[in-house]
Amino acid sequence: GEDEAGGGAEGEETITLRAATGLSAQHAWWEGAMVPWMERVEELTDGQVEFETFTGGELVSVPDEGKAVLDGTIDVGIILPIYQPDQFPMAEVTMLPLSYSNTEIASNAWRQLLESEEELADGQTYFDMQFADFKVFPISTTQEYSISTTGKEFNTVEDVVGTSLRTPSRIHEVYAEKTGIDSVTMPAVEMYDALSRGAFDGSFYSIADWSGYGFQDLFTYTLTGVNFGHFNAFIGMDEERWAELPEDVQEAMVQAHEDIFGETISIWNERAEEMVAENEAAGGEFVDFADLDPAVQEHFNEGIVETWVDYAELLESNGLPGYELVRTWRDLIIEEGGEVPEAVMDL
Amino acid sequence: MDTLWKTYRAFNCIKLAGIWISGIFLLIMMGFIVYDVIARNLFAGSINGGFEIVQNYFMPLVVFPGLAYAYSSGVLPKMDLVIERIPENAQRLLVIVMILIELFVLLLLVQFTWQFAMNGLEREEGFPAAGRLYPLYPLFFLIPISFALIAIENLFLLIRNLAVKEPTLLMMGEDQEAEDPT
Amino acid sequence: MDNLIVIGIILAGIIILLVAGMYIHSILLTSGVVGLILLEGFDFLPGLLGNEPFNRVASYTLTTIPLFVLMAQFILQSGLVQDIFYIVHRASKGKNSLLGVLTLMVGGVLGAVSGSGTATAASLGQVAMPELRKHGYSPELAGAVAASGGSLSGIIPPSIILILYGVATETPVGSLFIGAFIPGILVMVVYILVMLVYFRIGLKKQPINKEERAVPEIAATVEEEQKPSIFKLIVSSIIAILIMLIIFGGIYSGIFTPTEAGAVGAFVGLLAALVLGRVNLRFFRDSLFETVKLTGMVMLIMIGAQIFGRFVSLSLLPRTLIGFLEPIMGSPVLVLIAISTVLFVMFMFIEGAAVILMSIPVIFPIIQEIQVDVLWFGVFISVICTIGLITPPVGLSVYAVAGVSGIRSESIFKIAFVFAAVAMLVVCGLLIAFPELATWLPASAD
Ligand code: NA
Ligand code: NA
Repeated sequence: GEDEAGGGAEGEETITLRAATGLSAQHAWWEGAMVPWMERVEELTDGQVEFETFTGGELVSVPDEGKAVLDGTIDVGIILPIYQPDQFPMAEVTMLPLSYSNTEIASNAWRQLLESEEELADGQTYFDMQFADFKVFPISTTQEYSISTTGKEFNTVEDVVGTSLRTPSRIHEVYAEKTGIDSVTMPAVEMYDALSRGAFDGSFYSIADWSGYGFQDLFTYTLTGVNFGHFNAFIGMDEERWAELPEDVQEAMVQAHEDIFGETISIWNERAEEMVAENEAAGGEFVDFADLDPAVQEHFNEGIVETWVDYAELLESNGLPGYELVRTWRDLIIEEGGEVPEAVMDL
Repeated sequence: MDTLWKTYRAFNCIKLAGIWISGIFLLIMMGFIVYDVIARNLFAGSINGGFEIVQNYFMPLVVFPGLAYAYSSGVLPKMDLVIERIPENAQRLLVIVMILIELFVLLLLVQFTWQFAMNGLEREEGFPAAGRLYPLYPLFFLIPISFALIAIENLFLLIRNLAVKEPTLLMMGEDQEAEDPT
Repeated sequence: MDNLIVIGIILAGIIILLVAGMYIHSILLTSGVVGLILLEGFDFLPGLLGNEPFNRVASYTLTTIPLFVLMAQFILQSGLVQDIFYIVHRASKGKNSLLGVLTLMVGGVLGAVSGSGTATAASLGQVAMPELRKHGYSPELAGAVAASGGSLSGIIPPSIILILYGVATETPVGSLFIGAFIPGILVMVVYILVMLVYFRIGLKKQPINKEERAVPEIAATVEEEQKPSIFKLIVSSIIAILIMLIIFGGIYSGIFTPTEAGAVGAFVGLLAALVLGRVNLRFFRDSLFETVKLTGMVMLIMIGAQIFGRFVSLSLLPRTLIGFLEPIMGSPVLVLIAISTVLFVMFMFIEGAAVILMSIPVIFPIIQEIQVDVLWFGVFISVICTIGLITPPVGLSVYAVAGVSGIRSESIFKIAFVFAAVAMLVVCGLLIAFPELATWLPASAD
């Protein structure tokens, strides 16, 4: 809502924007991206813009932020398009597994993908095809997803097959299927309880995100050096709402985004370092992919390639430019310094 | 009055069908989760997408079809200490006002949940589970339907309270099962 | 409109509608919708109202509500409670005070397998009260014992209240269950001690009660006629023990999660009824209808509370309240005493699940602000809620017992209120003084 009350700089009307997320107030995307962005906007507009904030599902739950922005319940929100593959089928591209990347590489690639002028199909860019209703401010992706278990180790291919892991996204489910991993789906809140009682073996999860549920005390074996994708997000507004804002406010928002984008990347890295230290102190072990038995490496890599093909095919079967998209993503990742298995290069 | 009761009996059959649907899906949900637990512990793994299917299909099917029956069964809590002690005329007026308020809110809910359902249909909303998409929007229509049934119940209540002196929020007594045709 | 004015109007409206006897869920819906209209106008309503009912219901964790209730229904309809109580009656032959103690303990055991307090209270009222009265308990005391024994389901896991709190605050339900175990036992012990005091007092003035003692003799003769066979009693006890072993063993060994335990429990309850030969169409009809009705009730209140919660958030009421409480925010104990007093009063008047659901949007932000342990707080308010089941004027357990026994609820309340007051002071006091009573078990279980 917009308040008529004055008090802004030079007698201008104060614009109060309602900002919300279903994530907790401690989540890196809120604390590390949204809050700095809002503070910077308030600063740049000399207090003309103010934010009224709601976190932890107080007003909107994950993943309804996008809908809430479009129907005007809120003015601005953190949008997690991967949770709605029915609405944003091409958003999951950042979850595709890679050989190497980090938060910075994936974040830059994600931003470039959203801002790219290059057309994917029918004269439309990636943005046009997925997010044209929104004003989009890309924020950093998560750190790469790893596989962590409460004890199960991957010494042979037989160890991998039949391991039961929680799969947080559709891509992980595909990958699990390709590599013979049993996928378990359950809400993240219940995971600690179920894992600590041995209901299943582990999960795909990003290390930096462990603290939200206390997983640093739970996992004892984590596979690093291979990467099961990056979760993405953006700060979103309704396109029409955005167009109504005064030009100087728009400029301030764009500038604020420019200023905070890099900061947001580092918060994930800091959190990951903390988690690794805490986990190692609690007896956790981190195993590098390169140190695994070559047959196991081969098994994981085959899964990666098959997942890329499967995802591209899935999109194509829905009339979307699947292959064009995964190639674009691959090239952006490579350009930013990431690596993919050889076979992905030939797609 | 006779026609009212005849119509209400017919309406009651719809509600009865609803609660049976809910009950049967409850049994199926129980079996589904038990099978999932057994499969995870004894066989290769849990039912793929089981969690999402339970959450998005079973829960709405357990809750919404039986809602109108639950509403009219007298199980809903209220604080009736004061109202029982005031004169019957005043009670009746209060009850009629409350039914009107309830109808207003229910009609809003029917309208908005219907919009929500139509919106979902338009966007063909679904949910991802085990690597594939399942349609979700058909279930959205359960909600306006069940709220509409509750609104109809309130219409009957309104007519009854206007026609009969003794105020009530229930068409039948709490022991209505005794007179059920099942 | 100014937020404070809107909050004032809505609060006044809630009180008026409560007194007028409107359904709780309707009050929540109405005040939520009207509040949102006053705050935001009509434009936002579709977005705020349209998706809430579906989103609220489509939750995996909430499957526990219909499934634990179904389990309780299967167990009740299978006649297991009657059989168990018959054993208790035999065990306490000649020791009258022991019968009361064992009745409360049966309440505790039933609490451990059943999610809902009123169902347990009703069945205790049916089977235990005639026995108690035959053994020198006044009708009021017998009613109070049955009601308080039944109310223990509210705190001894699995408990619907704990599940609702866990869902509303994203606290793991399993940890809440474990945390509630010791406080649940404490409430039971307090009830037993108060009951013993009452029983002693009652013995001294027994001659006055002669006339009333004639009635239960009839009940007792009926009981003798329906005496179950030894074989059936053994089967019943084995089944009862098995149900507990499977549920708790399954959760603790990781075979299933506390959420899945609802389904497994219901399934085991169904098997038990099959073994006891009680399954027919009527059995299914009664248990399913009861369960769907109760689930519908909880869900309607949840949907109402969710929409009311949206209004509460948008009105910035929690923030206003925190500002208002500023002078005492530095002292969490004072804030907690204030909150628990308000809750105790609410639980006196309003059904427990409704109180939890309607108060959490307001209270939870305050709890987080004063950094009180979320798990501890959940256990704490569940204790208050359990006690609220037997306090006048609205005490569902007492109503249930009064309903099945024909004793006036007012006279049961007279004694039950003392049970409640003592439990409130002792258990809540202990919980505030030693938070470890709730937090130690969950911490060591990890
Ligand atoms: Na219980
Ligand atoms: Na009460």
